[in-house]
Amino acid sequence: RNVVHAAPSVRRLARELGVNIQTVQGSGVAGRISEDDVRRAVSGAPAS
Amino acid sequence: MDFDVLVIGAGPGGYHAAIRAAQLGLKVACAEMDKVGGVCLNVGCIPTKALLHAGEQLAASRHAADFGLTFGETRMDISKLMGWKDGIVKKLTGGVSSLFKANKVTHLIGQASFVDANTVRVGDKTYTASSIIIATGSEPARLPGFDVDQDRVVDSTGALTITEVPERMLAIGGGVIGFEFAHVYTNLGSKVKVIEFLPNVIPGADADAVREFTKSMKKQGIEIATSTKANKLERKGNELHVEIENVQTGEKTTEVYDRVLVAVGRRPRTAGLNPEAAGVQVTDRGFITVDRQQRTNVPHIYAIGDVAGNPMLAHKAMKEGLVAAEVIAGKPAEQDAVAIPGVVYTSPELAWVGLTEAEAKEKGFQVKTGVFPLSASGRAMTLQSTDGFVKMVVEEGTDLLLGVHIVGPHASDLLGEAGLALEMAATATDIALTVHAHPTLGESVLEAAEAVHKQAIHIMNR
Repeated sequence: RNVVHAAPSVRRLARELGVNIQTVQGSGVAGRISEDDVRRAVSGAPAS
Repeated sequence: MDFDVLVIGAGPGGYHAAIRAAQLGLKVACAEMDKVGGVCLNVGCIPTKALLHAGEQLAASRHAADFGLTFGETRMDISKLMGWKDGIVKKLTGGVSSLFKANKVTHLIGQASFVDANTVRVGDKTYTASSIIIATGSEPARLPGFDVDQDRVVDSTGALTITEVPERMLAIGGGVIGFEFAHVYTNLGSKVKVIEFLPNVIPGADADAVREFTKSMKKQGIEIATSTKANKLERKGNELHVEIENVQTGEKTTEVYDRVLVAVGRRPRTAGLNPEAAGVQVTDRGFITVDRQQRTNVPHIYAIGDVAGNPMLAHKAMKEGLVAAEVIAGKPAEQDAVAIPGVVYTSPELAWVGLTEAEAKEKGFQVKTGVFPLSASGRAMTLQSTDGFVKMVVEEGTDLLLGVHIVGPHASDLLGEAGLALEMAATATDIALTVHAHPTLGESVLEAAEAVHKQAIHIMNR
């Protein structure tokens, strides 16, 4: 299965920062992706 | 260039695109050959809902005797009903015109036709634009042998005009449009039959929800025949003789009706548009293919709404209109909706968002479901509307919400919560832990989430 668990605002932030949301590791419940997860993906730091 | 953006069509998608583009500082024109507001406002969503409301009030007046409220003879003044409905349409389309003025969107009147990739003829004038958005919508699909005269044999547009309530009516097509009109006419006093070619009505909806929905429709007097098609129509005086065939048994019967509604689907509308002149490709089914940013094969030409593909729903067109406008304005927008809700505005309503149980399984999810019947809802009892349920489809393990299917009063409004939950990637636990006001219909959504975990309070959990 291929689903992205991220709120609409987080998906938009990812587009604005040029990040492919499919590649972002979500740190939340059920793999949910937060704004911080997206920002960490930009800076290249691993998700905590 | 005359304009930054030229939108072709002022339906839900078109006017959303035009207004958002104007909000973002672009010089915008919107061409419309008919009335602003498009199908939805003029001959679709809005007038149908007005008739549904009137029919429901009539039905409600009959049920009011249950709690001691009786009236004299209830009468429906059809011409007054038509006038009221038309007044709502006029007010809303006038509202779109006002919004155009307020946002400085130039309204061009006339049929639009591409001259080249940056030039469009509207009526007898030509205009140039840097970006063009095609939002030409759709029109009712035809059924061979059933020529629509908008009097006795009608499509959805003709069905909105009622001069007298037909005694016997046939709705060909068991989709959303077929059932909404079946419900209107049943409440007004017609004997209505709905026939559907496929083995199930309301394709795309959850099987359990459809079963619950059809049970209630039948209870209210609507006859439903699936795996059935209409072969031919013969006019004998004021009578319509329709040959109907069961496609499984091959059995044919001829039935007599006073009015026939042809609601077998809708087809995209590109007639007269001449997209070839701009190099825009159209599929053999008439749709214009787009990417997630609503771009056609020609990068500065966009397509949105019904003409850009299914589902043909106003809210989908609206979202796509906003996406196209934002992309043109240089923003990184895309049509990334997790789910687009669907609604049948009958009473009870059938409404859903996200995956059906069958779709979820097909996609490889391990699925858990929870169902809460409205017969256990205090609020539903006080509204005399206990037909229906809320069904929740959830991924086993992660508890992630995948779909919500509702049959019941105000299901369309309850869907707002479910849609937000899906977009926010909520789990059933998130919904179950959210305090819902009591007594409300919305509690049924909470209880369905609890039922997923086998700990609903107002029903036995199995």
